[in-house]
Amino acid sequence: MAVLSQKKPTTVFEKLNDETWRRKFLRNVVIPWIFIAPLLLIHIYVVAIPAVQGVYMSLTDWKGVGMNVNYVGLENYRELFFEDETFGKALGNNVAWMIFFLTVPFIMALFCATQLAQVKRGGMLYRSILFIPYVLASVVTTTIWKNLLNPQKGIGAAMDNILGLENTFGVAYLGRPESALMSIAFIDNWHFWGFLMILFLAAMQSIPPVLYDAAKIDGANRWQEFRHVTLPGIRPILVFMFMMVAIWSFLAFDYIFLLTQGGPGGASEVIATQLYKNAFFRFQAGYGAAQGVVISIFAGFIILIFVTVKRRGWDI
Amino acid sequence: MKGIKILFAIAVLVLALAPVGAQDVTTVTMWFSEGSTLDCWGPLMLEFNDIDPSIQLEIVPQANAWDVTRTAVAGGGGPDVVRTPGPSFVYEMAQAGLILPMDTFAESMGWGDFFFDWALDLGLVDGQLYSLSDELETLVMYYNVEVFEENGWTPPDTMDELNALAAEVEAAGLTVFSHGNASWRPTNEHFVGEYWTQVAGPHKVYQALSGEIPWTDESLVEAIELLDAHMQAGWYGGGVDLYFTNDGVYRRTSLAEGSAAMNIEGSWAIRGTVDYFGESGMTWDWVPVPSHDGTDYYTIGMGNTSSINANSPHPEAAAQFLTWYFSPATQGKMLTNCLKGPAPVAIGADVMAELDPRIARLYAELSDASANDRYGYTTWTFWPPKSDVYIYEEVERVWTGEITAMEYSEGLQELFAEELAAGDIPPIPTR
Repeated sequence: MAVLSQKKPTTVFEKLNDETWRRKFLRNVVIPWIFIAPLLLIHIYVVAIPAVQGVYMSLTDWKGVGMNVNYVGLENYRELFFEDETFGKALGNNVAWMIFFLTVPFIMALFCATQLAQVKRGGMLYRSILFIPYVLASVVTTTIWKNLLNPQKGIGAAMDNILGLENTFGVAYLGRPESALMSIAFIDNWHFWGFLMILFLAAMQSIPPVLYDAAKIDGANRWQEFRHVTLPGIRPILVFMFMMVAIWSFLAFDYIFLLTQGGPGGASEVIATQLYKNAFFRFQAGYGAAQGVVISIFAGFIILIFVTVKRRGWDI
Repeated sequence: MKGIKILFAIAVLVLALAPVGAQDVTTVTMWFSEGSTLDCWGPLMLEFNDIDPSIQLEIVPQANAWDVTRTAVAGGGGPDVVRTPGPSFVYEMAQAGLILPMDTFAESMGWGDFFFDWALDLGLVDGQLYSLSDELETLVMYYNVEVFEENGWTPPDTMDELNALAAEVEAAGLTVFSHGNASWRPTNEHFVGEYWTQVAGPHKVYQALSGEIPWTDESLVEAIELLDAHMQAGWYGGGVDLYFTNDGVYRRTSLAEGSAAMNIEGSWAIRGTVDYFGESGMTWDWVPVPSHDGTDYYTIGMGNTSSINANSPHPEAAAQFLTWYFSPATQGKMLTNCLKGPAPVAIGADVMAELDPRIARLYAELSDASANDRYGYTTWTFWPPKSDVYIYEEVERVWTGEITAMEYSEGLQELFAEELAAGDIPPIPTR
C-alpha cells in the first residue's frame, strides 16, 4: 500500500534521487549504450565520417592527392548528368546488369532449390557442389572463365572442332561490344547463383511440411504447391534478396574490371568502373565522389521502394 | 679478478654504446610491387646496404605498390623513396606538396654529371626538380627471324613496305602482329602514340603537345585512320574482337612460336621475348617501327620515376640511396643482370659490350635518335592524365566503329585544351 501511494518522480532532481528510477535508467539506457558504444564509435569512424567526407568531396574539384580542394558546388553533378555521355551509357549497363541478376539467378536458384528440397539422400553433396563457385575468389573465377571463353582454345573452339564448324561457338564473347557485358554477367552469375539457391533452400526447409500435406489433400499439383505454399513461405528472404541484388547491381565492379576493364569501347562500363578510373587514373576524385554519391542515392531509392511496399501491407 | 673487471668494463662499454649504434642506422624505405621484377632487382638494390652500414635500404613488397604508395603518401605516411608510374603523377604529387624538391641534392650529389640533361628536365615542376626518371623506354618492332627467312621476307622500313609485307604475311596464313589488350588495356595507347609519331612525324606531335596545332590536324587524324584501317584488316591479333581477348601470354607465344610474324612492343618486353624465344628455340630480332618516310623514329618514354617523400624523416639518406641507385654502375649492373630498362644516364661502353648485341644496339640506336632529333613521345610519359586515359579508352570506340577518327581527335583536342590551359602538361623536352 505504501508502494502504491509513493509519489512518482517527475523532475530531474527527483528522478536522480529515486533509486528505482536510477536502476531502471542504468539498465535500460546506460548499459545498452555502453555495450553498443565500441561498435558505434567504429561505425562513426569508418563509415559515417568517410561518408560525410565523400559527400563534401563530391562538391569539390579534389584531385585525390594533397589537400588542394576548391568548392565547386553542384558542378560535378551537372557535368555528370548533362555533359558526360559515358555516364548515361554506364548507367544503362547497370540497369541491364540489374535486370539480368533479378531474373536469371533467381529463376535458377528457385528451380534448383525446389528440386533439391525433395532430395533425401546425397542432397548435401549437390548443395556443396553448386555452392563451391561462390567461395572462389573473383580473380580465380575470372581466370578460369577467361580461358574457357578464349576463342582459340576455349570450350567454344572445342565445340567447333567436334562439330566440324568454323568460328560458330569459338568467338570472342568478351571482345565483342554486343556480348561483352552479358558474358561477364554470365560469369558472375556462375559464381553467385549457388549462394541464392542455398538461401532459398534453407527458407524452404523451414516451411512446415503440414502445409504441403494439406495442399496435397486439396489436390494441388507441383506447380500449385510451389505457387501457393513454397513462394509465400520463402517470400521474406526472396524479397530481401531482391532488394539486396538490386542494390548490389549498382556496385558491380570486380568481375567487370578483371575481365574487360569496361571495354571494348565502353561496352561493359558501369558506374563503379568509371568511378575508379576517374578517381585514380584521371585525378578527378571529386567527380568520382559525385558518382559514388549517385550510386548511394540509387541504393537509397531502392530501399525506399521496399520500405514503402512493406508499409502498405506487404509481408516482407 | 682483474680479468673479471676487464670483462665487466667491456660489457658496460658495449651496453653504453649499443643504443647509440642502433640510433645511428638510418633506414630508407622503398615500396615495390611483388613479382619477378622485384625478385631480380631486389637483391641488386640491397647491395646498397654494403656501402655504408649507417644507411640501410629496406624494400617493402606490396601487392600493388603504386596504389598503396599514393594512398599512404596522401595520408602523410608512405616510404621515403616514392616511385610513381610517370611524370604526370609526379606533377600532381608535387603540386600537392607530397614530395620534396631535390635541386639541392642534385647539386651537392652531382646528379647532373651522370644524367642526360633532358632527362633531369623531365622531373621539373614549376622549375624545381621533383623526380628522377627511371627505365628508359621505346617501342620497336620485334620479328621472328626464322619466319622471315623461310618466307624470304625482309623487315619493312616504311609504312608502304609494311602494307606490302602484311599482305604476304596474311597470305601465308600468319597473323601480322601478335597483339591483344586483355592483360593491360592501356596497351592501346602504344599504337596510337606510335602511329602519330611514325605517320605524322614527331615534330607534328611536339607541335600538338605544345598547343601550336590541334589534335585534329590532318596528319594526326590520318595516323589514327591508318591505325584503324590496320585494326579492321585484322593485323593486330587476327581481328578487332580477338585483339580485345588476346592476353600477354598469347602475344609472346604466337611470336616466339611463329604463328605471328611481328610485334610492335616496348623495350620492356625484351626480357619476356628472350624467355619465350628461349623456350621455342627460334630467334628474335628487332627493327625500328616503320615510318611514313623511312626515317627511324624512336618514341621515348619513362617507365617509372623516383622522388623523396615530403614526410621522410631523413631525406638526405634517401637522396644518397638515389645517387647510388641511378649511378651508371648500378644501372649497368641491373641492365646486364635483369635486362632492366636503364635510367637515362650515361652507361659505359664496357657494360654495353656485355649485353646481347641486339639489346645493346637498341639502346645505342635510341641514344643516337635522341641526340639527332629523331625521337618522339610516349603517351604515358608526356600526356596529362585525363588526355592519356582518353587516348587508350576512346580509341576502342574508333575500332568498334562507334566514332570516327576525326570525332576521336576532336574529343581529345577538347580535353587536351582544358588540361593545357590548366597547366597540367608534364614537362616536354624542347626540340
